[in-house]
Amino acid sequence: MKLLRRTLIATAALVALGAQAAATVGQPAPDFMLKDTNGKTVRLSDFKGKHVVLEWTNPGCPFVRKHYDSGNMPATQKDATRQGVVWLSINSTEKASSDYLEPARLMAWKQERKAAPTAVLMDEEGTVGKSYGARTTPHLYIVNPQGQLIYAGGIDSIPSARPADIEKATNYVKVGLGEALAGKPISAATTAPYGCSIKYKSPA
Amino acid sequence: MPSRLFHRLAATLFFIAASALWTSASAQLGTKTSGQGTSVVTTPYVRAELLAHAPQGVAPGQPLWLGLSITHQPEWHTYWKNPGDSGLPTDLAWTLPAGLDAGEIAWPLPKKIPIGTLANYGYEGTVLLPVPVTVASTYAPGPLAKDATIKLRASWLVCRKECIPEEGEFTLQLPIQSTTALSSAAFEAAAKAHPRAVVAGTNGIVPDSQAQIADGNLLNVSVQGLPVALRGKTLDLFPETAEVIDNAASWKQSWNGSVWTAQIPLSAQRSASPSLMPVVLAEQSPAHATGPDTRTGYRAELKVLGTWPQGASVASVSPALEAALKANAAQAGGSATPAAASGASSLTLTAALLGALLGGLILNLMPCVFPVLAIKVVGFTQHAQDRRAHRISGIAYTAGVVLSFIALGALMLGLRAAGEAVGWGFQLQSPAVVASLAALFTLIALNLAGVFEFGHFLPSSVASLQARHPVADSFLTGVLAVAVASPCTAPFMGASLGLTATLPAPQALAVFAALGLGLALPYLAASFVPAVARALPRPGAWMDTFRKLMAFPMLATVVWLVWVLGQQSGIDGAGALLILLVGLSLVVWALSLAGRARVWMATVSIAAMALLVWAFAPHVTNMPAAQAATSSPQVSATGWQPWAPGAAEQIVAGGRPVFVDFTAAWCVTCQYNKKTTLADANVIADLQTKNVALLRADWTRRDPAITAALASLGRSGVPVYVFYRPGKPPVVLTEVLSVDEVRATIAQL
Repeated sequence: MKLLRRTLIATAALVALGAQAAATVGQPAPDFMLKDTNGKTVRLSDFKGKHVVLEWTNPGCPFVRKHYDSGNMPATQKDATRQGVVWLSINSTEKASSDYLEPARLMAWKQERKAAPTAVLMDEEGTVGKSYGARTTPHLYIVNPQGQLIYAGGIDSIPSARPADIEKATNYVKVGLGEALAGKPISAATTAPYGCSIKYKSPA
Repeated sequence: MPSRLFHRLAATLFFIAASALWTSASAQLGTKTSGQGTSVVTTPYVRAELLAHAPQGVAPGQPLWLGLSITHQPEWHTYWKNPGDSGLPTDLAWTLPAGLDAGEIAWPLPKKIPIGTLANYGYEGTVLLPVPVTVASTYAPGPLAKDATIKLRASWLVCRKECIPEEGEFTLQLPIQSTTALSSAAFEAAAKAHPRAVVAGTNGIVPDSQAQIADGNLLNVSVQGLPVALRGKTLDLFPETAEVIDNAASWKQSWNGSVWTAQIPLSAQRSASPSLMPVVLAEQSPAHATGPDTRTGYRAELKVLGTWPQGASVASVSPALEAALKANAAQAGGSATPAAASGASSLTLTAALLGALLGGLILNLMPCVFPVLAIKVVGFTQHAQDRRAHRISGIAYTAGVVLSFIALGALMLGLRAAGEAVGWGFQLQSPAVVASLAALFTLIALNLAGVFEFGHFLPSSVASLQARHPVADSFLTGVLAVAVASPCTAPFMGASLGLTATLPAPQALAVFAALGLGLALPYLAASFVPAVARALPRPGAWMDTFRKLMAFPMLATVVWLVWVLGQQSGIDGAGALLILLVGLSLVVWALSLAGRARVWMATVSIAAMALLVWAFAPHVTNMPAAQAATSSPQVSATGWQPWAPGAAEQIVAGGRPVFVDFTAAWCVTCQYNKKTTLADANVIADLQTKNVALLRADWTRRDPAITAALASLGRSGVPVYVFYRPGKPPVVLTEVLSVDEVRATIAQL
């Protein structure tokens, strides 16, 4: 009995270690292949040679709404794409979640708020989200033209649901992209993401 | 198909309902702030109430607790101080009458709330977040005041799977004179639920609880002093520091006698690198357990050992770096430091003193001490026949050196206390000091070359003092030695000096004294042990020749000082200094004349000198604001980039190794290394193959950022050479760089 328990614990630890090999800043960003809201297949490696922002999103989350309803996220997206940066919004909400929006509805919600991502990607299985270790919505990543992860963390420096805080906060993504595009290393390369938990599909 | 449609419809409806509820909830809360106020706020997900516990009323020295009690709807939760993978801690903002001061929330023991592959720390059911309030002795309510008005603005995030941010404004009238104890049971329960400290290892009987970083992705935690009742049980661990461990991972734990150990994976995207990690431990409870919570939490402060993996740090000085430097310093301190297996040993005072002594000895061999050595040799040859005079002069010299070091140390401590960002070597960052030293060395050179003799222009009493008291002369030589030697820090000196920045004043001064003693020791030894003295050349006619020869190192020193000043004040400043030195020489020469010529020449030359000082002195001390002088075109041509705060950490975070050269124009050792080892073709080739980024931090002029960076490396002087490597602790090289050492380090990158 005791032996069995030990074996179980050891196995669990090994599984945890395996699962823990999530994306790390300074390491190559895991490549992925997802369908966008139009059904088109998008690969991360398609954008080699460009800076890519990955944004985990879920319209059902008040923290996501804070940044979309205030216009902060759309403005950050426009600012990025205008400079040739690729912006991929990824929704890892499982289909069974009450927050789940099908592609057309998700796109409509984004368009209503004048969002300007390069593409909105569906990750209902959560595999890509888990491979990046994405935990919250929003949770943001920046990949450099060489395919290395150079930023992982929050959208800004004040973790709250209050839109009034946006003005006072440092937009880490905007600052990070500015530094990366100027050829400088990102000063805050790993920050604390904040928001709702991603509604991942439970492992079968 | 119809069922799927229904599903979607239901989802949409729920979403709309949730949003509507949220907006209406906040709207409702917003309107409640007016009027009398309320102590209860109810939303669809929680009932929140402001409670107070004041058994003796509101009076100084009497217990007073306030708290927010949150009752969650089933399945909903709010968060602990570290919310885990998502969520936000509940925030309480108080408005209290003057004299009342609210403390931090005494967070009760949380639960681990797993959500799929993530984990949160928070509270379900009913929780009271108590806050201790101190009543100042000055607290004086008006004579007619019956109640104290307590106002609270609280914001919390309540989640099931979906999350709703909520806010509430609460008001409570707290009777000042009478007892408020209706909620005493709730406060008592909350006090019980607050984690207790484990038996701490203060006196060495119980060892410290530790978290050892292993393989860059694991924390080996060992906790001492847990109660016997917990032994053998499976525990939950709640880190108070967010963003360090992988919250949802499962990990191994075991009991080793009274010690609980666990191997906890680090988060791949860790953004905190603490040196002390407080954690709360409690018996593991099944997820979403119902019924009363009978667990007791225990709080332990884990000392973090080892180095945090690079690339995840946003702090300017990572504890990893600190730890690595401590280890380096311990090594440099020599065998006197017991090499504790824990790896956390710091430089003890004894080791620091030994290191300082050794550093002082090596200082004798440093290129920038050479001119003073010349003076010392002249001194020796003058007293070669007189053993007693020799000893006295040795002691006087030692006293001069040691006292000067102590004086310099005291000055530095004073300046440090005054809040000035100064470091060792700061004397030569001031152009006025550089100019004065240049003038002094010019005078010495002129004297050695025989342009003037002290007896000729000094009052005869002072001259005879010089002659009759070689003791005073030796003492002054010692003082001079210190003035020149201080900017060149020898290998062991760095660690010792860095240490003085954190030592109490008497100990810091002792380190400075040891440094001085080391510098004076060879001279002292030679003066006492005849064998050493006998090894010195006999006095003779050659002495005068030798003395004149010694004028040239002095002049070379002047050239160096002028060059240093040129770095600080530009070519105009250097030119002005040279003109002033010429003027000074003229005055000295004029004073050395005899008869009427002396009167005339002295008058004219002093007048001319006054005019020169008036016209040129401002140029000398005028520091151009621009940093143009520090970034010459040569710098970019050889691949060196100017250092900036945080630059090295950023490049390392990008996966590229970095070499930083902390240097200054006035540091001869720095310049020597730059022209030899750092210019070596093999070294340059190696650096290029490994794609090492080269940064140069120029400390010629005062730069608080560099002073701070040196302090963080445990040093307070230049040169310092550091390799930063991705994922590994940084390597600090010795101060006299050898090609082999640099290449060996590069090979390990």
